[in-house]
Amino acid sequence: MTEKQNSNTPDKRSIGGDMVIPVVALGFTLYYFSTIIDSPWTAQVSAFFIGTILIVLAAVFIFKSVAKVRLGEAGFGFSKLFSKADITSGRLSLFIVTVLYILLIEWGGFTLTTFGFLFSGMLVLSKGRDKGFIALLSAGLSLVGYGLFIIVFETRLPHGPFEWLMALVL
Amino acid sequence: MEFQFQLFGPLLIHTLSYWWVIIPSIFLGLIVGAIPGFSAANTIIILLPFTLVMDIEVGLIFMVALYCSSRMGAGIPAILVNIPGTAGAAATPLDGYPMTQAGRGQQALAMSFVASSFGGLMTTIIALLAMPLLAQVGYYMHSVEMIVVMLFGISLIASIAARDTHKGLIAGFLGLMIGSIGTDVVYATPRGTLGFLELYDGVPLIPALVGLFAVSEAFLVIEQKSILSKKGLDAAPSVGWSATLEGCTIALSRWWHITWNSIIGLIIGVIPGAGASIASFVAYQQSRTYSKTPELYGTGHPEGLIAPEAANNGVTSGTLIPLLILGIPGGATAAVMLVVMQYQGVTLGPTLFQLNPELGYGVFMAMAVTYFFMILTILPLARFMTRVTMVSTVYLAPCIIAFTLIGSFVPRVYMFDMWLGLAFGIIGYIARKTGYHVAAILIGVILGPLLETYFLRALKMSDGDIMVLFSSNLGNVLWLALFATFLVPAGIQFKKNRRLDESREAPNG
Amino acid sequence: MSKTLKPTRRKFIKAAVATAGVAAIAGSPFKSAFAAKFPERNINVIVPTREGGGADRNLRTFTSVWKNYLNVNFEPGYFPGASGRVAYEVYMGKREPDCYNLIFGNMGPELLNWVVKKPTFDLNAYLYFGQVDTDPGCVFVGAKSKFKTIDDIVAAGKKRKLNVGTSRMAHPASIGILALGEKTGAQFNLIPLSGGKNTVAGAVTGEMDFSVLTSGSVAAAGKAVRTVLIFDDKNKLGARLNNAPTMNDHFGTKLPPLLSARAFGIHRAAIDKYPDRFKVLQDTFFKVFKDPAFKMAYLKAKGDWEYVNPGGVKECEKYSKDIAEIGERYKSLLSGAPKKK
Repeated sequence: MTEKQNSNTPDKRSIGGDMVIPVVALGFTLYYFSTIIDSPWTAQVSAFFIGTILIVLAAVFIFKSVAKVRLGEAGFGFSKLFSKADITSGRLSLFIVTVLYILLIEWGGFTLTTFGFLFSGMLVLSKGRDKGFIALLSAGLSLVGYGLFIIVFETRLPHGPFEWLMALVL
Repeated sequence: MEFQFQLFGPLLIHTLSYWWVIIPSIFLGLIVGAIPGFSAANTIIILLPFTLVMDIEVGLIFMVALYCSSRMGAGIPAILVNIPGTAGAAATPLDGYPMTQAGRGQQALAMSFVASSFGGLMTTIIALLAMPLLAQVGYYMHSVEMIVVMLFGISLIASIAARDTHKGLIAGFLGLMIGSIGTDVVYATPRGTLGFLELYDGVPLIPALVGLFAVSEAFLVIEQKSILSKKGLDAAPSVGWSATLEGCTIALSRWWHITWNSIIGLIIGVIPGAGASIASFVAYQQSRTYSKTPELYGTGHPEGLIAPEAANNGVTSGTLIPLLILGIPGGATAAVMLVVMQYQGVTLGPTLFQLNPELGYGVFMAMAVTYFFMILTILPLARFMTRVTMVSTVYLAPCIIAFTLIGSFVPRVYMFDMWLGLAFGIIGYIARKTGYHVAAILIGVILGPLLETYFLRALKMSDGDIMVLFSSNLGNVLWLALFATFLVPAGIQFKKNRRLDESREAPNG
Repeated sequence: MSKTLKPTRRKFIKAAVATAGVAAIAGSPFKSAFAAKFPERNINVIVPTREGGGADRNLRTFTSVWKNYLNVNFEPGYFPGASGRVAYEVYMGKREPDCYNLIFGNMGPELLNWVVKKPTFDLNAYLYFGQVDTDPGCVFVGAKSKFKTIDDIVAAGKKRKLNVGTSRMAHPASIGILALGEKTGAQFNLIPLSGGKNTVAGAVTGEMDFSVLTSGSVAAAGKAVRTVLIFDDKNKLGARLNNAPTMNDHFGTKLPPLLSARAFGIHRAAIDKYPDRFKVLQDTFFKVFKDPAFKMAYLKAKGDWEYVNPGGVKECEKYSKDIAEIGERYKSLLSGAPKKK
C-alpha cells in the first residue's frame, strides 16, 4: 500500500470516511434482499445468509462509530477520503479525464482516444511540463496498443477515424 | 493405462527439437498473461485459424507452451505494479507488491519465476507418473468436498482481517455479497443486478480485479514520484544481477514449500471446474496457517509469494489430466485445447493412451520442456522488467488506467465493463484510503459465486437437507482439516504466549 | 441496459466509409436501384454464445460457404450473457432492421428462456428463417455407471429420486427427462450444471446418477459416456450413440423431437420493409446446403452431418410453437416453484 505523505496525514479522529464502505454495504444488501424477496429458495438461501452477517457487521460498525462521535472521541469528517491533495496532486482532474476516456472511446476509437487520454492524463500529473515528450510517449504507446490489440490479436476494440483510415490503407 | 517408459527418451529429444515453437510461444504467453483481460484461452481462440492449420504436434506444443508461460506472465504485473494479470494471480500481489515497494522487485520476480518453473516442472513429472491415480480425484471430489475446499480459500479473509477484524470481515462479506450478483444457478432468477443485463452472469472478474487493484492503485500513487517507497527508491539504482541470484537462492532454499504448494495446485487443478484462483488462495492460506511467522505475511514475505505462484502453476498440469484421460477439460484453456484436438481428429479420453501414446505423453513432455526453457529465457529478464517500477508515476498511472480499463473491456467486449472497472476502482480507492483490505473484497468476489454454486448443487441434490454437507467421508476429513487450520494458529499463538509468560516470570521467580 | 453494447456498429460505419459512394446517394432517387443489389456490404451476425463454442463453429462453417453466394463477408459479434438474453436484447434494441443484421441462435434453449421470463421486446418482432441443424437431446451415463439401460434408470427412479445433470433447467433435454418421469412414475431431480462440459463431467465422475444433454456433444465425448435414450424420432447417429432407443419407440409416448436447433433469425420489420433483401437471404441460404463445399467444411469441423436439417420460416415456426407449448407445460418445474418453504 502507498505511503502517505506527511502533508496529507489524515486526521485519525475523522471517521466519516471509514463509514462509507459499511453504509454502501448496508444499502446494497438491503437492495439485494428486495430483489429476491419473491424468488425461489435457491436464489435466497446463500444471499440471506451472507447478507444477514454483513448487515450485522455493518450496523455494529456504524453504531460503534456513532457512539464514538457522541462521546467526543471522533468526528464525522471525511479528511481520510478527501483532502486538498486530491486537487493539488491532479487526482480529481485525472478522474475526470478517465470518465471522459470511457465516454469518448466508443466514438473516437481506441487509438485516438487512448492517445488523448494518455496525453491529457500525463499532462495533468506533470502540471503541464514536458509537453513534447508526453505527446511522443502517448502517441507511441497508443500506436503500440493499436498494433498489439487490433492488428495482432484482432481484439474487437472500438474503432474510430484512425482505425477506419488504417483499414483503408492496409 | 500402462506406462510406456521407452517412449520418454526419444520423446524428450523430439520435443526439444521444437525449441523454435516453444520459445516464441513462451514470450507470447508472457505478454498475454501479463495483460489483464487476455489469457491463454482467448489467445488460442483468437489464433484458432492458425492453430487449426498447424501440424497437430506443433499446434499442441504451441498451446501448451502458451498456457504455461501465460500463468507465469500473470504474476509479473502483480508483483511489479499490483495488477494481477488473471484471477489466478490474485494472491500474488499480497506479498509480491510490498517486496517491490521495498525495492526488492527483482528478487520477487526471480522468486516467482523459480517457484513457477520449479513447481510447474515438478507437478508435470508427478502428473506424468501418477496420471491414472490423479484422474480418480474427479470421482471423489464432488460438490460437498468442493464446498470445503472453497471455505479453505475464503477463510483467508479471516486471516487478512486479523489486522483489523471488523473492517476485514466487512470487506470480505461485501465481496461475497457483490459476488452473489447475477442469476441464481438453479432457476436463473436475476438478483441484485441493478437492472443491468450485463450483470446477469455475475460480476465479471477482470473489471473487479483491475478496478480493485490497479485503478485504485493508480489514483493513489500519483502523490508519490514512483511506486517504490523512499527506501526502495534509494536502493533500486544500485541493484544488479546479484538480486536475481538472491531471489533464486531464497526460492530454492524453500524447495519443500514450492513442492507442497504446487501439489495443492495440481490436485485442485484436476477437479473439473476448480481453477487457479482457488488454488492460489488455498495455497496462500495453508502456507500462512502452518508458518512460524504468520504475522509477516502481507508485508513482503517470500513464502507468501512462493505459495500462490507454485500453486497456480501446479494447476496447469492438473487441468490437463481430466482432459487427456477422461476427455473432460479441467479449465477454460483445456476446453479450447479440446476443440483443437477434436478438429485434428484426435479423440481425447480413455483410449488416447492406447491409440496415441506419444501424443498423450507428448503433452506433458512439452510442458516439462517449456518450464525448462522458461527458466532459461525469462529469469535473466527479471532485472530489466523491474525497471518499470522506476518509471515516474506521472507516466505510469495514466498507462495503468488506460490499459487495465481496456483489459476490462476485452473478455466480453462490453463498454459496460469499462465502467464497471472504474466503479471497482472507486470502491478500491475508498477501501484503501479508509483501511479496508481490497484483497478481502476480491476473495469474496472470486470465490463467493463458486461457493454458492457448489452449495446450491449439494442442497438441490439432497432436496434441501443441510446435513448433506457432512454426508461424505472425504468431505468430513476435509472439514476436520479446515477446523485444524483455525485451531493450529490459535494453538501456536497460545504456546507463544505461554512461553512469553514463562520467560517473563522466570527472572522474577 | 447500457446503450453502449454495440461493438459492431463501428464496423457498420467502417463499411459505410469504404462504400462512400453508395452512402452519398443513399437518399437519392437511385436508392431503389442500389437496394436491388443487396447486399452491398458485410452482414453482421449476433451470436448469443461464446466465441469458439459449438454455435460459433457452426456459424463459421455455414457462412464460409454462404458468403460466396452473397459476395460479402459475415461479421459475428458475440454476446453470451444471461443464457443468450443479452444477445437478443442487443439485437432487438440496438440493431437496425435492414436485413444487414441477423442473429444466429439456438432455438430450443433460447425460446425456453422466453417461457421462463419474457424479454423486454415483443416476441413477434423477430422470427427465425433459416434452420441449419437440429441436435436432439439424449440421456447418458458415465462409462463406469451401474446403469446400463434406460430401464435400469427408470427402475431405480421408482425406488429413489435420481439426480440428473443438465446443462440448464430451461433446456429441451431437461423437458425430455421430466416427461419421462411423468410417463413412468420415476422420480428425477434436475441439477443444472451450467454448460455441456460440466454436464458430461457430472455423469462421468458419478456425482450425478446420469445426465441429459444434446446428443452431438455426448457423441463427441466418446467412450467416457454411454447413451441410453434419445428424444427424437430416430437415433440418427446409431452406434455413435450406443444404438440407444428413442423415447417414443421405447415408452410409446408421442413427444415432439426435443431438439436444440441452430437457426438464423431476423427482425420482422426488416422483412416488411425490405422483402427483396429478405428473399435474397432466403434463396441463397438454401443454396448452401446443396453445395458440396458446405458438407466438406461441416465434416472437417467435426459436425454430425446427420443433424444438418435445412428449414425455412415454416419449419422454424412449427418448431417454435412446439417448444413453447411443451415449455409452458413444465414451466413451474423449469422456473422454480415460488417460495418453497
